[in-house]
Amino acid sequence: MSTKLNIAPIKIEKFTLENGLRVVLNEDNSSPVVSVAVYYDVGSRNERKGRDGFAHLFEHMMFQGSENIAKSGHFQHISRAGGTMNGTTGSQRTNYYEVLPASQFPLALWLESDRMLSLNITQENLENQRAVVIEEKRQRYDNQPYGQIFDILTEMVFTNFANSHSTIGSVEDLNAATLDDVADFFRMYYAPNNAVLTVSGSFEIDLAKELIEKYFASIPRQPLPPEIDVSEPEEVALKHKIWEDKLAPLPAFLIGWKIPPRRTKEFNALYLAGKLLYDGESSRLYQKLVKGEESVLQLFGFTDERRGPSMATIGAIPKPEQDVKQIRQVIFDEIENISNNGVSLEEMNKLQNQLRNDEVRSRQSSLGRARQLAEFTLYDNEPELANTEIENYLSITAEDIRLAANRYLKTDNRSELDVIPVNKG
Amino acid sequence: MNEDFRKQPPLKLAERPFSISKPFETHLENGLKIIIFEDSKLPLVSFRLAFRFGEIDDNNRQLSIMNSMMKEGTEKFSSKQLADETDKYGASISIGSSSDDTIIAASSLSVYRSEMLDLIAEVLFKPTFPEDELELKKQNSIEGLKFNRSDAGFLADERFSKIVYGEHPYSITSPTVSQLENITRDDLVALHRERFVPNIATFLVVGDVNKDDLLAELKAKFGDWKQGSVVSKDFASVPKRTKKTLTIVDRADSAQSNIVIGNLGIKRTDEDYFSCLVMNQILGSGATSRLFMNIREDKGYTYGAYSSFDKRKLTGTFEASAEVRNEVTGAAMTEFFYELNRIRDENVSDDDINLAKSYLTGVFPLRVETLEGLMGQLVSQELYDLPKDYLETYRENIEAVTISDVKRVAQKYIDVEKIAIVIVGDKKDILSQIEGFADNIETFDVEGNLIN
Repeated sequence: MSTKLNIAPIKIEKFTLENGLRVVLNEDNSSPVVSVAVYYDVGSRNERKGRDGFAHLFEHMMFQGSENIAKSGHFQHISRAGGTMNGTTGSQRTNYYEVLPASQFPLALWLESDRMLSLNITQENLENQRAVVIEEKRQRYDNQPYGQIFDILTEMVFTNFANSHSTIGSVEDLNAATLDDVADFFRMYYAPNNAVLTVSGSFEIDLAKELIEKYFASIPRQPLPPEIDVSEPEEVALKHKIWEDKLAPLPAFLIGWKIPPRRTKEFNALYLAGKLLYDGESSRLYQKLVKGEESVLQLFGFTDERRGPSMATIGAIPKPEQDVKQIRQVIFDEIENISNNGVSLEEMNKLQNQLRNDEVRSRQSSLGRARQLAEFTLYDNEPELANTEIENYLSITAEDIRLAANRYLKTDNRSELDVIPVNKG
Repeated sequence: MNEDFRKQPPLKLAERPFSISKPFETHLENGLKIIIFEDSKLPLVSFRLAFRFGEIDDNNRQLSIMNSMMKEGTEKFSSKQLADETDKYGASISIGSSSDDTIIAASSLSVYRSEMLDLIAEVLFKPTFPEDELELKKQNSIEGLKFNRSDAGFLADERFSKIVYGEHPYSITSPTVSQLENITRDDLVALHRERFVPNIATFLVVGDVNKDDLLAELKAKFGDWKQGSVVSKDFASVPKRTKKTLTIVDRADSAQSNIVIGNLGIKRTDEDYFSCLVMNQILGSGATSRLFMNIREDKGYTYGAYSSFDKRKLTGTFEASAEVRNEVTGAAMTEFFYELNRIRDENVSDDDINLAKSYLTGVFPLRVETLEGLMGQLVSQELYDLPKDYLETYRENIEAVTISDVKRVAQKYIDVEKIAIVIVGDKKDILSQIEGFADNIETFDVEGNLIN
């Protein structure tokens, strides 16, 4: 099958303002909608020890007003315009975005530029958002069965603090954050030369350039933040841990492997190996464990994509009275099977069709395109990858997958987490 | 540097026209309604075969098992072969029911349109319900119920539904273990034969298709489908509430209290629908609403506080809810009631209502940017029997809502004196904070048993 995707490429125009802000425009008039995304090159990987969770807490501060925008004004302005917006924080970056009716395009530029220039940093806002973030942690992690296990596994897989600690942070560290921390963080990371602005949807290119210049060009450049070291030692032994979960109804387990960075051939091959193993009802492990042996209730996995060392994970929730060791062994046997015997032609065809389908679907919405363009610009300085990276995936061969599985998954150098329910009632 | 332009929000640009053309509609001779919307922006296609029967039309609650069993073996394919056949195109097929309807959903690259229609026809017409697959499905569903019981949101929804719906089948949110244990293959065969009939179904297709080719194909593949009888809808009436109630589901070790406050609301086609939409936008929808601004942005009690009217074919509910830390459970309830009373007692401001209206009208084009978004609109318009001109008249219907409408529907549908309060949380941590909110408190355990 061809390794080309036969659809029109995303139209890209890119430039950099004098203050270092990288801008990417994608004019696409298929819907009267425009999406604006601002990505800052800061995530939990940039946090220092004792400030776990700070990048995310800071993201909340970005909605608390700036010189010309009142507290909660951001929400109000976007709502009034019939738009939606949000911000998210991950290990690799923090992003902010607005989706608006096309006529409201300038509003997003006004709002994003005002907070990049003049964020309103007050003790009152910090106290309030600290409380909100701690509730977010309770709601999404602490009060959920199995809510904390992925963060615990990440701590096991990675050795380097930059990679290993959680994005949501700890209550202790969140409580330790000061107003000075907020101000320093803003100065250091929220500078135009540490950010990318993308616009996708229905707008005029010339007007967009003019407006972006007007709103962003006078925001001063800052010294670049310090380089961070995300390197990891090669693992040399199996790590094992037990987590007692007060809310979980059944035992569970996770297995994690340290794997090469995103956009390497090995990473792409391992992403595909993961899909073959656990993605969907036709996957090998679903057929072996959920069907076949009938030992597993839920099977899941994902590939955590990072600029540095990344992570592959497989997990399962076995049925009661099942032997967890035996189930893990089935997983290792299947990895060994791929390592020895490779991948069939049918499986390769399936993977390629899934890649094509996912890629075309991801291009439907202006926000989807704005986000892709922003990521490839921020991480690779190459927005064109939004059109071409799919070809790198489609060119991965069965042998690439076999070799990558053999080298990175068929190994004792992995982390295993056993989750044990302890319902005290 | 003179940057006065930053002081005011920028003027908006010229409006870019927005219109959705009317989809093509027809019926096959067997009564199957067809809706086709051609959209060739990208080589994708999306299908929904929607039936006007749902969980409430099935007293034994066997639908969820039957739906998933339709993919576990057909005359032509085994369970694994069906999974392979779907995944090899990078496509997906799922079958699911809500209270009111049942939908077979599929999507793929448009080049595989015919293959997907064959697969839909295969799972629809030829399921064999193999005994061994049924046993596994029952076993897994029973374990799944245990899972649900570990989730605070499930427990809150389950208890709230029982309280406000009483004997009406909307009160049931999941089957019981014994219902699942007792399902036989014969049950599924009968249910399948009875329910999946063309005269209560609509086939919607959105995407990169040619209408005439598609119609010919639909006729060939779904034209011989035999009509059946229409489900009769005869349900127990909903109870009339007489007083405020407070119910705790005692979930040990909860890190938060999951609070739900509400009562019965409206059906989707109620004449008060648009007034309720605007009122709720002001009260509790999204980050500009009063509940969010008060309980999150001002007090910091929660990650989010919201309210909603759920959309149902018959009577829906009104609910205000938040997850808050244990220590502020009582304080959060005080704020909820402050806001519920305020929107009943005081006129909202011009600014409040204008903000709500401009959001509700402006956001519309964003909702239909993708195939699935557009499909969602078409499906709900069809299944809720909304008027043909619903999309065209949406804006004027919103614009027509007045400040007194907002107050009127708040008073009518938020009955604070007879409202139901459900809290899922750790009773020993929260009891003393909430005792004053109702005359007495009922407590259930997480298994659903009444404790006192």
